[in-house]
Amino acid sequence: MKRLSLTARLSLMFMLAVTGALGVAGVFFYQLSQHHFDELDWHTLEDKLQASGQLLRSLDDLAQFDALRPQLKALLGGHSDLAVRIVDAGGMVLFAADAETTGTHLHGSADAPAHGRMWRRRAAVIEVAGQPVSIELALDVTTHKLFFHTLTGWLWSALVLSALLSAGLGWLLARSGLRPLREVTQMAASVSARSLTERIPTESTPAELQQLMLAFNAMLARLEDAFVRLSNFSADIAHELRTPLSNLMTHTEVVLSRARSSENYQDNLYSNLEELRRLARMIDDMLFLAKADNGLMVPEAQPIELHALCEKLLDFYQLTADERDIRIELSGAARIEGDPAMLHRALSNLLSNALRYTPDGEVIRVGIEASGQGVVLSVGNPGATIAEQHLPRLFDRFYRVDPARREGNPSNAGLGLAITRSIVEAHRGEILCRSSAGWTSFEILFRGQK
Amino acid sequence: MKLLVAEDEPKTGTYLQQGLSEAGFTVDRATTGTDALQLILSAPYDLLILDVMMPGLDGWEVLRMVRAAGQDVPVLFLTARDRVEDRVKGLELGADDYLVKPFAFSELLARVRTLLRRGNAAALQTQLKVCNLEVDLLKRRAVRNGQRIDLTAKEFALLELLLRRRGEVLPKSLIASQVWDMNFDSDTNVIEVAIRRLRAKVDDGFEPKLIHTARGMGYMLDEPGAP
Repeated sequence: MKRLSLTARLSLMFMLAVTGALGVAGVFFYQLSQHHFDELDWHTLEDKLQASGQLLRSLDDLAQFDALRPQLKALLGGHSDLAVRIVDAGGMVLFAADAETTGTHLHGSADAPAHGRMWRRRAAVIEVAGQPVSIELALDVTTHKLFFHTLTGWLWSALVLSALLSAGLGWLLARSGLRPLREVTQMAASVSARSLTERIPTESTPAELQQLMLAFNAMLARLEDAFVRLSNFSADIAHELRTPLSNLMTHTEVVLSRARSSENYQDNLYSNLEELRRLARMIDDMLFLAKADNGLMVPEAQPIELHALCEKLLDFYQLTADERDIRIELSGAARIEGDPAMLHRALSNLLSNALRYTPDGEVIRVGIEASGQGVVLSVGNPGATIAEQHLPRLFDRFYRVDPARREGNPSNAGLGLAITRSIVEAHRGEILCRSSAGWTSFEILFRGQK
Repeated sequence: MKLLVAEDEPKTGTYLQQGLSEAGFTVDRATTGTDALQLILSAPYDLLILDVMMPGLDGWEVLRMVRAAGQDVPVLFLTARDRVEDRVKGLELGADDYLVKPFAFSELLARVRTLLRRGNAAALQTQLKVCNLEVDLLKRRAVRNGQRIDLTAKEFALLELLLRRRGEVLPKSLIASQVWDMNFDSDTNVIEVAIRRLRAKVDDGFEPKLIHTARGMGYMLDEPGAP
């Protein structure tokens, strides 16, 4: 089912509220006036009953009843809406007014219809000179009933009318009340259609929408960031591929431009092979990153003794380190769960980085430490301090502190740290770089591991 | 040794055929899965190199039918797409190895030789001898020209690998994987350093030189003048 629009919902709620309030008021008013009229009728009957009782009680003998007749007539007979019957113990009617109308309906209690009208009855038995005499009164309340009938009708029509009116009014109110929302939506639509760099102005939006707009703007900022990174990445890829390709082409063309010795050809082919290897490795790395981005890289969860894993790597890199008289020190131990092959690769990137930047004869430190948050693995090396602004971007693809310089090994395409981060993140870990006072260290936190 | 290369990309197919032939194998080539299957079923091969994506029958289908025909020949898959499910599928179907394009030819050659050796189940020798270099694998001792050579454990492992596969160019990635268990292509010069050190101990001061560099491809141990 399609959800109701906010306008429809608000007008509906407004209508229900108004109708409800009006309904309650109507019921209250109805009850109050009914109570009032009942009281009034009851008093009238009670008064007549008391008065006629007093008159009757003044008699010493019922035989003198006739003497009371004029007084009773004055008291009871003058009202067209009142029917009276006074009956003695033998059932003889002593006095009657409107008897032809009252005759049938004076007995019993409460309201009853008769002769097309509505009567309210009241009766009492009093003692006159030792004999019971019953006084029966009936008040014509037809007009009251009629009044209530009319009142009910009016109340219902008022209710229906106000429901319609309030629905319409509610719709108008909701529409004007929601106008800022529509404006903001239009703005958002136009902004995101134009470009990712624009933001929705939040000063004029109502407080309730401000949070939404801030969130929307933040989303735009994230999108823009991702988009910029992506387009930079594509540009970088193009650039990175172009350099070796142009090397290959120039070199090959130059060699082919005239006849040469077979050693010459061989040399050229070897050099081409090196460039091609580099290209192939770069493509491999980019595919690895693409897989990581798409969540296709699912690491195994094997128990790993970090110390042993590091030792194996150090064993491998020790040879290069020895060449330059660099020592690699390993300290600490911890167990984590992870993918040994991937972690090999991640750490290997850090170690070869460290080796690249460590001056000859210095010491690289690899530390394993279990902290409250998890296991921290750090690779630290002496070397030129990396400026603060570069630190968070070190892990970006193709990022180089100095874009004009391709540090160290020409096969270093600037993907190593990005791959390391991908692997660490696939293990739900975090990686950061600190650099100060000639010491740079990369720290990996495997969160939640003991 | 008779190999079949089933590859629809003409350049790749030609180069593979040329390279493998020059490495001493007899190589047939097919460009479609259907042709490949026909060739395989008509004459037995020692090894099949199948491209996954081929017109007609793809590599998987060819392998399935070859296995269904009861042939136990080793199979090496070539593919341009490296997806985990592809690997799993290949292994389930009974592929023996898997190489993702672009690959180095030396890598392919090394794997082909490994697979062919696996098929023969060559007895493990404990005494290896090339020219005047003798290595006792049980006593872990190397002697050159009657002179004892002291080697570290890794140097010994490297020498053993080179000896066992003498005459083969071993790519650096294969050496890293076999000797150090580093199964990724790293950009370090570790292998060069290791070879340089081994050479210093095994070759320096002795004649003839046994360890050779195949520039841009890898390293090889063999007697000079050997084919």
